[in-house]
Amino acid sequence: MQGNGLKIGFIIAFLVLTTWYLIPSIQWSLEQNYIEELSTSEAAQYREDNAAKLQDLRDNKLSLGLDLQGGMHVTLEVGTAQLIQELAGEDRDSLLTNVIQEARTNAIEQDLDFIDEMVRIFEERDPNARLSRYYRNDAMNITRRSTNQEIAQFLKTQRQSALDRAIEIIRSRVDRFGVTEPSILKQGTNRIIVELPGVEDKERVRNLLKGTARLEFRLAADAQEFGNFIQQSYNYFDQLAQDTTAQSDSVAGANMFDMLLPSDSPYVFGYAEARDTSAVYDIIRQPEIQRMMPRNTTLMWSANPFPTETGGELFQLIGVRTQVELTGDVIEDASIQFDPATNVPEVSMSMNSEGARKWGRITGANIGKPVAIVLDGYVFSYPNVQNKISNGRSSITGLDGVAEAEDLVNILLSGALPAPLDIIEERTVGATLGEASINAGLNSVLYGLMIVAIFMIIYYRTGGGIADLALLLNIIFILGILAAFKATLTLPGIAGIVLTIGMAVDANVLIFDRIREEQRTGKTIKASIEAGYANAMSAIIDANVTTFFVALILFSFGVGPIKGFAVTLMAGIVSSLFSAIVITRVIVDYLSRTKQDAVSFG
Amino acid sequence: MRWFETPNFNFTGSRKIAYVVSAVLILISVGAIISKGLQYGIDFKGGKEFVLEFDQPINVVEVRSSLGEPLGSVPEVKLFGSESDILIRTDNEDEINEVQTRIMNTLSEVFPDNPATVIKTDVVGPRFAEDLKSGALQAVIYAIVIIFIYIMVRFRNWTFSAGAVAALIHDVVITLGVFTILSDVVDFSLQIDQNIIAAFLTIVGYSLNDTVVVFDRIRENSNVHKGMDYIPMVNKSLNDTLSRTVITSVTTLFVVLVLFIFGGEVLKGFSFALIIGIILGTYSSLFVASALVVELKGDK
Repeated sequence: MQGNGLKIGFIIAFLVLTTWYLIPSIQWSLEQNYIEELSTSEAAQYREDNAAKLQDLRDNKLSLGLDLQGGMHVTLEVGTAQLIQELAGEDRDSLLTNVIQEARTNAIEQDLDFIDEMVRIFEERDPNARLSRYYRNDAMNITRRSTNQEIAQFLKTQRQSALDRAIEIIRSRVDRFGVTEPSILKQGTNRIIVELPGVEDKERVRNLLKGTARLEFRLAADAQEFGNFIQQSYNYFDQLAQDTTAQSDSVAGANMFDMLLPSDSPYVFGYAEARDTSAVYDIIRQPEIQRMMPRNTTLMWSANPFPTETGGELFQLIGVRTQVELTGDVIEDASIQFDPATNVPEVSMSMNSEGARKWGRITGANIGKPVAIVLDGYVFSYPNVQNKISNGRSSITGLDGVAEAEDLVNILLSGALPAPLDIIEERTVGATLGEASINAGLNSVLYGLMIVAIFMIIYYRTGGGIADLALLLNIIFILGILAAFKATLTLPGIAGIVLTIGMAVDANVLIFDRIREEQRTGKTIKASIEAGYANAMSAIIDANVTTFFVALILFSFGVGPIKGFAVTLMAGIVSSLFSAIVITRVIVDYLSRTKQDAVSFG
Repeated sequence: MRWFETPNFNFTGSRKIAYVVSAVLILISVGAIISKGLQYGIDFKGGKEFVLEFDQPINVVEVRSSLGEPLGSVPEVKLFGSESDILIRTDNEDEINEVQTRIMNTLSEVFPDNPATVIKTDVVGPRFAEDLKSGALQAVIYAIVIIFIYIMVRFRNWTFSAGAVAALIHDVVITLGVFTILSDVVDFSLQIDQNIIAAFLTIVGYSLNDTVVVFDRIRENSNVHKGMDYIPMVNKSLNDTLSRTVITSVTTLFVVLVLFIFGGEVLKGFSFALIIGIILGTYSSLFVASALVVELKGDK
């Protein structure tokens, strides 16, 4: 037993180290308790005075998962197909659109890389065709002669940079929104994981994360032409309505008048209620109507409704040009203003010099006509141009309250997303549920520990007591390891700790049972202990290594809370091996040397 | 205190009975899984889930029927832990903001005196669910392959690997069967989600733990008692380790029961899987894993 000095030194070092890592967590909870007892103003003052210290503690404490402290977890996906389609710009044709659509379906169904699949399908359609005709780009050295492989590489680079840019933009939006300890991570080639602790207003965050904020300035449709179009279309609906009476299964003609109210304005096709907007849009999309539509003109809904006398809400279907005169790129600054007369919030924007020049030209050439301000495909306002605006100022009105205005300013200042983002996973946990989960978790750790501890003492006497001591140290070790590796404690993570308690005693059970066996063969207590530890070792190692492998696999394949579970399981295996083999051995050795009679394994 | 001090049960002798028991359990499980299908939670199916906390106890049936119309189809509604918390699960594909508003508006009309707040939401897109599912499947397959290889390397004998892997597939299949059969019977959620996959892999680890300890003793005994026949030696090894097997199972079961009772609603399904898994794992390491080693090795 010469090695015990070294072992004891090792145990103490490990204990000191793990405790050291736990100190910030303990201090943090003490500070939180202290702050809770202060009044609101005192608490704010205290936080301000100790900001650096609190921040430091926060950075080093054992952090809790969203399931324990409440908050929002969102996985966003960059719309690669749309990005690739838009990169082709004006050059895209129906072939490319078709290929992209097919590649998209295949990529989803067969779990393939979208870009590789797109190149494959493209070459399958026409082995001699070159993708370079869509994606010429002088800056990136992509010419007409570039091979399809080079194009694929180019597109992958573009996808990568779109993802990076999207992450930057999301980070800037989240920072402006003001969330403490947000975490924004890249996952795979096209996904972003956003974790926002303590977020209450989910709806706002959803819109904030998704909002592409594609701001466009477009001219309104030509009043003369559009007026004629409205006339023709309504005549057509009339016609349809009469046909319907004869032929009852004819499409929607009569319904159209139930849904769409005519308007006086030469720029507004009609009004509809929210629930009818998509049905109306479907009818407008019919080829018969599209054929009558003036060139370069399209229809868009207004973003916000106005109330009717009967208490309903109506949206306008507005005629605008297809051509975009100016985009949000030119916006340099944005801020909230309040209309002095009505106190309604609006967003006022200023443009860079190039934008201001264009804006001046556009407004100068269209005095007396409306200009539509379009955001994400909805018309926010279409004010009449009074006179030429040469200082680059414009504003978005018709917003739905201060929060919307704030978020819009935030989005405009953060920049537009390179491609639309989809929320493909979202999990939120309220703060109260999180607190309940912590309590439930802590209680089960405590009760589990107690039951096992009592059982061990009853069954193995002194040996059980020693195992219990090791178990207690074990928990400090696990938490210390988690804090040291900056792991996050989740609810499944706590379950992992509870489970480790159960499994930690296993090594001791193996050893103690073996010692008892050796004693039965007539060996002295000392020899039995020696033989017991030696013979139990291979089983302990094999059992723990296999379980560790399983935890490792869980860690590599699991996401979110499962990862947390795997981490605690791994930390638990390492520390329970250490405490069961090394710590109990040292104590057992010590006792068997000094007070042999006191050592009993039941 | 001592349990099973010098036990002498005939485990290998009763292995034929165990085969029948296991075969019946597996058949029932597979039958249930095929006829009813695995009950996937939203992690693997996609959908939207809301947990609402009401001020006072709430009638689940009324909630369910009132939400059918606004959501387009009748959602799944269950109590969530207490009488006044409910879980609503819908596959309505509209925007989450809108679905939530529709649910809350409807409920505040139907139950004007019992206001509710949303305390938890989970939304998983169908494609993301597919990804999670294939990730989970891969995890389980890799776990089994790695375990097979490790045991083969450590015990220098593929029959041990086969025995261990068969035992843990046995455990997982029957646990899945229990989940499928009981999912409509119990009042907590037994749907298969990521937490349950974690529980299954823990069962795999646990079942293995038991099996490996027995195998280790077989290896040791075969070195010590060279002249002994194989079957009696396996039986001796099972008896030698029986005390440890039972004690560890009992302590772990204590802990998992505690987790089941006090761990909160979120961990109910998880700890339930572990309870079943630990019982099965103990059974399979006594009657399935070693028995298969005996069968595969022949009567040498």
